[in-house]
Amino acid sequence: MWLRMAWRNVWRNPRRTGIVVSAVAIGIGACLFSMSLSFGVAQQMVTTAIETQLGHLQIHAQGYEENRDLSTRLEDGGKRARAALSARSDIAAFASRVRGQGLLNSPRASAGVRIVGIDPVAEAQVTSLAKSLVQGVWLDGQSPRVLIGERLAKRLQVGIGKKLVLSVQDLAGELTGRAYRVGGIFHAPSSELNSSVVFVSLDQAQSLFGLGEAVTEIVVVAKEDDGLDRIQAELRAELAGVAEVRTWAELQPLLKYMAGAVHQNAYVMYATVFVAMAFGIANVLFMSVHERAREIGVMLAMGMKRWRIVALVVAESLLLTLVGLFIGIAAALLGTLAFRDGIDFSAFAEGLAAFGANSRVAPVLRAEDLMVPIGVGSFAALLASVWPAWRVASARPADSLRRL
Amino acid sequence: MPQRIEVRLAWRNVWRNWRRTALTVAATVFAVFLVEMSVAMSAGTHSKMIEDGVKMASGHLTLSGRGYLEQRTLEQFVPASAELERLLDRTEAIIGWAARVSSFALLSFGDRSNGVAVLGVDPARESSVSSLPTRVSSGRFLSSDGRREIVLGAALARDLAAEVGDELLLYGIAYSLETAYELFRVVGILRIPSPDLERALALISLRDAQEFFVYGDRVSEIAILARDAEAGLALRDPLEAALVALGTEGLELYGWAELMPELEQFVLLDRGGMYLQLIILVVVVGFGILNTILMSVLERTRELGVMRALGLSSGAVSRIVYLESMAVSAVGLVIGLALAAPCALYFEQNPIPLRGEFEAMTELLGMEPLIVFDFAPAQVGYVSLMVAIVALLAAAYPAFKAGRLRPVDALRSL
Repeated sequence: MWLRMAWRNVWRNPRRTGIVVSAVAIGIGACLFSMSLSFGVAQQMVTTAIETQLGHLQIHAQGYEENRDLSTRLEDGGKRARAALSARSDIAAFASRVRGQGLLNSPRASAGVRIVGIDPVAEAQVTSLAKSLVQGVWLDGQSPRVLIGERLAKRLQVGIGKKLVLSVQDLAGELTGRAYRVGGIFHAPSSELNSSVVFVSLDQAQSLFGLGEAVTEIVVVAKEDDGLDRIQAELRAELAGVAEVRTWAELQPLLKYMAGAVHQNAYVMYATVFVAMAFGIANVLFMSVHERAREIGVMLAMGMKRWRIVALVVAESLLLTLVGLFIGIAAALLGTLAFRDGIDFSAFAEGLAAFGANSRVAPVLRAEDLMVPIGVGSFAALLASVWPAWRVASARPADSLRRL
Repeated sequence: MPQRIEVRLAWRNVWRNWRRTALTVAATVFAVFLVEMSVAMSAGTHSKMIEDGVKMASGHLTLSGRGYLEQRTLEQFVPASAELERLLDRTEAIIGWAARVSSFALLSFGDRSNGVAVLGVDPARESSVSSLPTRVSSGRFLSSDGRREIVLGAALARDLAAEVGDELLLYGIAYSLETAYELFRVVGILRIPSPDLERALALISLRDAQEFFVYGDRVSEIAILARDAEAGLALRDPLEAALVALGTEGLELYGWAELMPELEQFVLLDRGGMYLQLIILVVVVGFGILNTILMSVLERTRELGVMRALGLSSGAVSRIVYLESMAVSAVGLVIGLALAAPCALYFEQNPIPLRGEFEAMTELLGMEPLIVFDFAPAQVGYVSLMVAIVALLAAAYPAFKAGRLRPVDALRSL
């Protein structure tokens, strides 16, 4: 009965209500949709980084934080770690790598590069690098071939089959070089990979650096995105004193921060838009209360409790806002559905690639992203009803009845 | 033009229901304040990003051989030319310029080695275009007469476990395609707010670089600094023409946005996102204005009917409604700007330091953890224009309703 009265009050002046509801709906719909695009970029950044390079977890020898080079290595090829990973059922795949630094020379130019030795079979299961090849073929583990990014190939002015010399300092401290042919050219969604990383097979890298059996890292992909902390803790306990286990967020804090910043920006955005809306809602409530001054006076005179009338105003405010909210949310959901294949931002391809995001941005909205505007919106509705409600509460029935 | 009487009528209507007007004005003030602050913040932060970026890289404009943009090898160069130097010195818009040799080499110390970007700089000139000489955290910058000195990025020094005074081996491929190696002594360490650069950059003197890479008196690039990004853009065409007049074949002038497209696009994306958010905010406030004006018109149906019956034209009635909307927004605009301008000016003098995760994030992005404001009179113009457009749009429907009223119907209502 009480809710029905509030509902009727909302629609007493449909035009006025319509305008406020559309303001809320447009505000929320546009906010949510623009947020869904930045969530999309953030999510893409994280998944791209995980899929192309990072994996969910990485295992290194102890002391990795201080020395990220060949001196920190898993001597036996990480047998203990690999055994521990094989025994788990929540691990999808893992692959060993060797990471080093060097100078890559073509007859025309040279470039400082990060060298990554990969196990061709295992690597194809943990990262999407094999899929980003645009020319040539994947490594086979035998022949002395390298994979380089498109930008690096352009810089060095080489194509498939051309010779490159990789100069490095090996484990013994000797400067050494070896010739390779370009086996494949890839286009990864990260500018860093495209311009400064060269991939060779694990065996080639081990012999180039004189590493023997040793590897420098093991990349791990879990079956699920969630629960990494638990896997990390268990692996840590098992490998204590042997190796260190890190999550992608620990390895690339920037990614985690940026994803967090996107959400914080969303909160700021909702807060400002809702404050702006609260003024409009308060205005409508005032008008509605003002029109009904006589009616409210009658209700008071007949002995209706003041708090009930206050509650009526608050309920009106909430109903008004919620109607707008749901229309806005529905519109935003329709929008994300309509653009689920992504919106093309290729004019900003390099800017996005610098953060490892694709130029095709698909909007992303999760259920919990909807809870924030609903929560903030309801709060704004309560806020907006404070002043009008206070007016009603302090009205004197005799005055109200005399009006009009 | 509206008549005096119309203005007076509109102004009185505005204050007829002060509570309603106050709420609408408050919403406008809120929006104007936020819009002005955001615009000033984005102007300040973005131009600082560009200036910082430009001063860590190759200036607002970079002169080099054709194809430098794609390849950046020793094959693209600027031959020494006294005429060219005179031109650069003579051009007024150029604040500073410096020649550099840029290539890659392997740097090793003990059993560690890293691929590095070697930059040969003229110690005397470098500070006129770049901030690198000011970023020395220990030791000193390269000296003009010193030989075989090297300055390393802090992360690079850490990776190599090298300190000031250590002797490192630089190993690379010279322009002659011969192998080149030479010992260099570390004289300084640079703290650079860009992790990638800090891990990759090694500076030696221009003379040493020309010798090491067997480059003669060629240089890879000449970095040119203008007063700001805008001045750099304006400088480009005249300088290009002057270069052609000088008869410099095979040289090309590049803008910072070409050399660092990711920086320009990041700024554009960030600015675009901000404008989108501000537009959403302003539209929401616009609906509030619409509602206020519409209610005010509907309340006055009878009154408007009387005015029409007394001979006021329908255009005049519409104008009064427009004026009413403009008046409400103008009050909000003035108060909003009066609040925002001192705040923006204050923060322009006192940038806001970032803390916690944001501090760590901006540092990883290669920026100083500061929010910088830049308040410019032009921004007041933009904001006022925006508010005026919103006020006109918000008044369109109520004004149309009011103008279309037929006196007979209007008088009959209520």
